[in-house]
Amino acid sequence: MRKISIVSQVGFVLLYIACVSMATILAGCSKEVEVTTCDGTGRAMVAKNATGQALADGLMDQWKRDHPDRDWVTGEKERHELKPPADNSALLEGGQAQGHTYGQHDKRDLLVWARETEKFALEGSRIFHSSELLGSTVAVSCDMCHPHAANTHPETYPKFQTQLGRVVLLRDMINWCIEQPVRGKRLEPDDPAMRALEAYIMAQRSGTVMNYGKH
Amino acid sequence: MNVKKVSSNAARWTICSAVLIGIFLPACSAKAAAGNVPKGEHGAATMEYQAEALNRLLPTVDVSQVPQGFDPVVWQAFIPGDNALTPERVGLGRKLYFEKRLSADGTVACATCHDVTRGFTDQLAVSEGIRDQNGRRNAPTTLNVALLQTAFLDGRSPTLDHQAQMPIVNPVEMGMPDGQAAVAAIQNDAAYKAAFQRAYGRAVNYEDIGRAIAAFERTLIFVDSPFRRFLGGDEGAISSDAKQGWVLFNQKARCVTCHPMNTSNPLGTDNRFHNIGVSARHQNFGALAKQALKALNEDPSEQKLDQLALSTDMSELGRFMVTKNRSDIGAFRTSILLNIGITPPYMHDGSIETLWDVMDHYNKGGESNLFLDGGMEPLALTEEEIDQIVAFLFALTDNRFAQENRRQLERQRAQAQKKRPLRDNDMAFRLKLAFEQ
Amino acid sequence: MKKLKSIETRYMEDRSRFFHDLKNLDRRSFLKVSAAAMGAAVASGVIPSGSFQSVSVAQGNAASGGSAAFRFAYISDSHLYEKKINDRFVRSLLRAVEDVNNLDPQPDFVFYGGDLAQLGQPRELELGAQILKNVKAPMKMMVGEHDWYFDLGQKWRQMFGEPTYSWDHKGIHMVTLNSVVERDFWTARGLTPMQRMMTVAGLDNGVQSPFSVGEEQRQWLRKDLAAYADETPLIVFSHSPLYKLYKKWNFWTDDADEVQAILKRFKQVVVIHGHTHQLLTNRIGNIHFHGMLSTAWPWPYAPEGMPELTIEMNRPDPFNPNDGCGDGQVHVHADGLVDKVYNLWNRGPITVSKAYTASWGRQSVPPMPNRASY
Repeated sequence: MRKISIVSQVGFVLLYIACVSMATILAGCSKEVEVTTCDGTGRAMVAKNATGQALADGLMDQWKRDHPDRDWVTGEKERHELKPPADNSALLEGGQAQGHTYGQHDKRDLLVWARETEKFALEGSRIFHSSELLGSTVAVSCDMCHPHAANTHPETYPKFQTQLGRVVLLRDMINWCIEQPVRGKRLEPDDPAMRALEAYIMAQRSGTVMNYGKH
Repeated sequence: MNVKKVSSNAARWTICSAVLIGIFLPACSAKAAAGNVPKGEHGAATMEYQAEALNRLLPTVDVSQVPQGFDPVVWQAFIPGDNALTPERVGLGRKLYFEKRLSADGTVACATCHDVTRGFTDQLAVSEGIRDQNGRRNAPTTLNVALLQTAFLDGRSPTLDHQAQMPIVNPVEMGMPDGQAAVAAIQNDAAYKAAFQRAYGRAVNYEDIGRAIAAFERTLIFVDSPFRRFLGGDEGAISSDAKQGWVLFNQKARCVTCHPMNTSNPLGTDNRFHNIGVSARHQNFGALAKQALKALNEDPSEQKLDQLALSTDMSELGRFMVTKNRSDIGAFRTSILLNIGITPPYMHDGSIETLWDVMDHYNKGGESNLFLDGGMEPLALTEEEIDQIVAFLFALTDNRFAQENRRQLERQRAQAQKKRPLRDNDMAFRLKLAFEQ
Repeated sequence: MKKLKSIETRYMEDRSRFFHDLKNLDRRSFLKVSAAAMGAAVASGVIPSGSFQSVSVAQGNAASGGSAAFRFAYISDSHLYEKKINDRFVRSLLRAVEDVNNLDPQPDFVFYGGDLAQLGQPRELELGAQILKNVKAPMKMMVGEHDWYFDLGQKWRQMFGEPTYSWDHKGIHMVTLNSVVERDFWTARGLTPMQRMMTVAGLDNGVQSPFSVGEEQRQWLRKDLAAYADETPLIVFSHSPLYKLYKKWNFWTDDADEVQAILKRFKQVVVIHGHTHQLLTNRIGNIHFHGMLSTAWPWPYAPEGMPELTIEMNRPDPFNPNDGCGDGQVHVHADGLVDKVYNLWNRGPITVSKAYTASWGRQSVPPMPNRASY
């Protein structure tokens, strides 16, 4: 029996396990391998000749059972409803005779797109709903005034924000909110947190008609 | 506004000031500051001197042109339909602005409290009218006043044309019993007769007196500040402190919420009314409000309102006197920020002497009171940050007043070094909350 | 300037006295110093504006059904953190207290609409109680989900008693319910009390369960009402709206239909609820529903399911934290119907009159908004 400690961030558990597990298989000399996550709570016994995917899945399943709230993507989706990204399945049907580049993509590609896009917006949701992640000094988070990102109206930007006396983009208002009601530190426009917040807000307004300058 | 335009603008004013200094050196504002200004009644420069000073400052105005650097589309919105700018109207108003005969005892003109040599205000806490009476309000500058949406600090007058009539009949200002008395004072003057005919095609009348003065005031567009050139792309136009101040203005200090500044509307006011707690230093809002409603109920005329606002404690009620809405108690219109450096003292009652004191007032979140504007909060500005914002504020003065601006900056800095009566760092940094210790 | 300086000095002295007195805070000293230091002198009923205006309006034209039998005031949804964490919400509640204390004549009682605390912490509830102690009129308390789900009501009950109760006032039967009963979502998840509280505190947190009154309270209600004739006017207080508006934000009571059925036999029923932080009006048959304003922040309107009678308030200005917030009063007429006054701090007050709901929105229409929600 071998014990392998896996050092990883929760969000990357799957990837790390897969890699380490492969190494285990190659080096394996016993019939079963016990794999352990770094916090010592996630363990799974897997056959030494199991595929890397099976190994990883097994451990991940066990880990999920032990930590129903620790898979942040699942957890975040359960807590905070996110509008799903657009359905691109039509790309898989017909119309490939013209040799369009999208014709080269398969179901897995679409899954990757959807999953990655969703995760980006979900990361925004996580920040949006957390006064800590927002760096609030007064325990205020965005959702306290904007449940499900209501009244954020990203479709109305750019517009002349009377109280700022100039034409602003969504990110300018996000920063205003972070600095004022939230009383945190403003984010650089390309800060990952800013990008994620924008992603979540826009995702929640999916389907709304763009209408810049609307008050 | 593009850079090229700015620099040509700048060049124009350089030429202008060269001319000014070359020809009128003995009377330029540096000298004026030294006390060589001939004084007339109530502490104002003599009307003759002021008229000359204005000629130097604003020799002629081509009213067919949009003021330099001003957005042409937006500009049109500031001219009322029944008072299009013509040289005749502007000329007449310019004369009436200095006309003391419009006052009961012949000592007060518009220019008494809106003095050309004192930033088009009187730089007094509260103004002095006929028989040396003091009102309760600080005279706002007439510079750029045409760009405001309402007139008077409580917005009780809907237009500048209407506003210009009111001081003539206010007992503590120019004190005429009524508009007809003002008309009577000048209608036999042949020059005025002719001027009114040319301007409005009518005999002298009270409404046209207001219109003509307003038309003239619409030429007092003084927006050519270093900051405006900076906005236009001239990086060197303002100091690095002022630049940092501009950043603070928009962010940490939250000034921009009520003082928006942009190229279309450079005034720095939202034209709205806010209780920032200045009048909270005076007590008894509730009793005052009750008194005011009783008085306004008995006499709802605009003259009565004008008198109550200027001559009684009810002045402190501000916008409430106009709307009778409880949420407007102690609220006054956001000040114009342009030329703020040369128009001390500050606030509706002139109770704050320097811009440092103004920043101290805001830094501690204003004076706590039941009707305090929700946007007022402690700001936690450091001394350095306050200095930077003040530097920015002094960069908002039109270049034609550069010397007076420098003089004020030095005077206020010296004053602020001596005392900062409103400074309260415990409040500013929330070490102490408004409702506890 | 000497004179002005002395005013400043006087103000400072007043304030330091205020701070000193606050140390030994009791009702009398708080009022005295707050009136002086916060510039909020007691105003008389002559003032026809804000909360005061509504008196004259209600007694005059808007009411159209005779004068109010009595009046009570309300404060709701203050969401207090400890004052060192967030002082703005504390200041807002203080302002509401000043507002109701300035009413002249004083209301018969002041109703607190729930969510006094933000995270149900004992210290939050204690702070709230300390502030509400200064209300001059008698207080009636209702519980909200933010008060409850840290310790499942232990502290709240200890401080304010049972959340479900009734009383009679000038011919009206009044009932206060705990409508924020959630089924256990926490045990299976192994949530700590704080995690449970945080979940409930998130309006858009879908892990929590819908609110309900529950069978136990419905039984109690049936029994409580049994002694009353159908003609008795009823006023029912609930934190959540006692109807189904928008489930995702718990603008919703899951067993609303069952509760409404219990109330159905009565001729006139008024339900006053908190939780929604906005102008909200509804009528279902004999039941007239009115929302309460929050002192802390306004909520957006639900994206669907809005009652037809609701005339929304203008979209709040985020740059003014007071906008869309406030307190208010309820003028109760002899027949049990009410004029509901929303005392919006940053705007004029808005009255939704008895005539409006009684006529199904045909008469006495409140001012329409021109800045609708997005």
